Amino acid sequence: MEDMYHADRAMSTQQDIKIKADKVQVYYADNHAIKDVDVEIADKTVTAFIGPSGCGKSTFLRCLNRMNDTIDICRVEGDITIDGEDIYDPKVDPVQLRAKVGMVFQKPNPFPKSIYDNVAYGPKIHGLARNKAELDEIVEKSLRKAALWNEAKDRLTAPGTGLSGGQQQRLCIARAIATAPEVLLMDEPCSALDPIATAQVEELIDELRQSYSVVIVTHSMQQAARVSQKTAFFHLGNLVEYDDTDKIFTNPEDSRTESYISGRIG
Amino acid sequence: MQSLTLPFIAIAGLAVLGYFLAKSRALQVSEGDIRKLVSLPSQHALNAVLATIVPAVAAILLISLYVRLTDGTGSWFFQFVVIGLAVTGLALSLIGIKTETRARTFAERWILGLLIFASTIAILTTIGIVFSMLFETFNFFGQYDWRDFFFSTNWSPNFRGNSDLGIIPLLWGTLYISFIALAFAVPVGLFAAIYLSEYAGPRMRSVAKPAIEVLAGIPTIVYGLFALITVGPFLRDYFAAPMGFGQSASSVMTAGLVMGVMLIPFVSSLSDDIINAVPQAMRDGSLGLGATKSETIRQVVVPAALPGIVGAVLLAASRAIGETMIVVLGAGAAARLSLNPFEAMTTVTVKIVSQLTGDTDFASPETLVAFALGLTLFVITLGLNVLALYIVRKYREQYE
Repeated sequence: MEDMYHADRAMSTQQDIKIKADKVQVYYADNHAIKDVDVEIADKTVTAFIGPSGCGKSTFLRCLNRMNDTIDICRVEGDITIDGEDIYDPKVDPVQLRAKVGMVFQKPNPFPKSIYDNVAYGPKIHGLARNKAELDEIVEKSLRKAALWNEAKDRLTAPGTGLSGGQQQRLCIARAIATAPEVLLMDEPCSALDPIATAQVEELIDELRQSYSVVIVTHSMQQAARVSQKTAFFHLGNLVEYDDTDKIFTNPEDSRTESYISGRIG
Repeated sequence: MQSLTLPFIAIAGLAVLGYFLAKSRALQVSEGDIRKLVSLPSQHALNAVLATIVPAVAAILLISLYVRLTDGTGSWFFQFVVIGLAVTGLALSLIGIKTETRARTFAERWILGLLIFASTIAILTTIGIVFSMLFETFNFFGQYDWRDFFFSTNWSPNFRGNSDLGIIPLLWGTLYISFIALAFAVPVGLFAAIYLSEYAGPRMRSVAKPAIEVLAGIPTIVYGLFALITVGPFLRDYFAAPMGFGQSASSVMTAGLVMGVMLIPFVSSLSDDIINAVPQAMRDGSLGLGATKSETIRQVVVPAALPGIVGAVLLAASRAIGETMIVVLGAGAAARLSLNPFEAMTTVTVKIVSQLTGDTDFASPETLVAFALGLTLFVITLGLNVLALYIVRKYREQYE
């Protein structure tokens, strides 16, 4: 199954550009939230967005799968391409795009359905399984990848809302990877979790890098340093600095970045 | 009750007196520095007022109940007791005023008592209704066989005696009309709620929601007139007559449709609130997986809101079953057991009214049957409400 999903990308290497943003502007009514952001996000890499609250990192993340379309007053300008394809082209269906660019939210939000149905939701909608056996296989595979299979395999019919917070977040990750996305966006996925659950999710993110391009927004600089290979620092709607994580945390070029990671602004 | 005017005036007077006395006494005890007091003078005053009024009024209620039950007559002794209680309450609260008296907590305890009393009234009223119905229903079954009442398919009351009083045709009419009303109101109301909460913009919503709720404010007799002069003839001329279903303007269909219109705001307004209460995170989660808006609504939002929606529907069902005026004017008053929705039928509530109006003798089964009908109806709606509560409790807060 795994091979079937990703055979077409088996040849890609670490350095391929998956997402390219060019002069992206975002406005909420009259408020200019994102200013001139250019960024290239590599495939099979974890990219972290850091920055103080309100700096636009979540807004920018939500541009990448057009979740901002659901907010009436939000307007996006500039170009964002995924695999060279402009995702804001009128021909692109945002619904199809979101199947390709999965998203995990800040607060675990399992549907009030069984664990099985939570994971099977996406594959059912997109017709990824031809029969029940295939669906079962996708559910098991996704739960295994999300490191939840051992805890959940005996209670697949129990409601997903009955799991603990960390388990719920892993369920949401399983739900997102069940639709076989190419990119996984994570908006502060650990901010509602305790340190143990956070460690589990971080370990999981590192494994997901084998198959996906992962973009994670985080408030924790330690987390960014632990899980990511590339880090982007946002400040007041600008992308201040974007480089290898090691470089950002040891030898940043911009003084604002240095102030933020050393705790002087933010 | 005439004899109670005097105690009420006395209690009110004592309460006003207590207010000022307590206030001045508190100030006096404080020796001009109210920071010495644990409670403020106004709190002492409130405590005195409540201590005067609450026990005395409670005594009045208990005494009048006692007098009714024992068929006794009121006497000056009772008035003495009531006023005595008020004076005692006042005196005790005044004596109790010291710097360290916690009048605040005492006053709150009186208020707690009042709150408990208010909530008991609703419960006691329900019990009272059941008992008053039960009593007359027993009288009825003393004169008329319960098997005939519940199982006879014929309703033909005859005030000279020898009536057939079978509930089945009436119950059938009630359920048939309610079914049509709900079959109309539930989809329309639910779809309206989904449109309002998920698709309509804020401006549309601010106009449409109050406009739909206007329907809930129309008196049912006006709906009845609408059924009588517009919907009934329309259905007869365009549907029933051409298709050979009969020539009656009063029909189950007429009453059911008009009642359905009446129920739309119940279903739509409650469902709209419930759908709005589904967290945005649910919608984001589904949209983020590449579901369309309509898939999100069908597979995530509505299932999450379902317990509340079921509650709304059952509330509407209780209203439909108890409705009278629309049925009288829309469906007629003829008890009939038929499947044809274009025929005149009637319901339990209409027959309760017709059995109790006019020259009635409260000893004959023809009159007493009204109480048995009422109790049956009450049991049915109570059952529906219990079911609604059970469903709502069982699935409540599932998405948290």
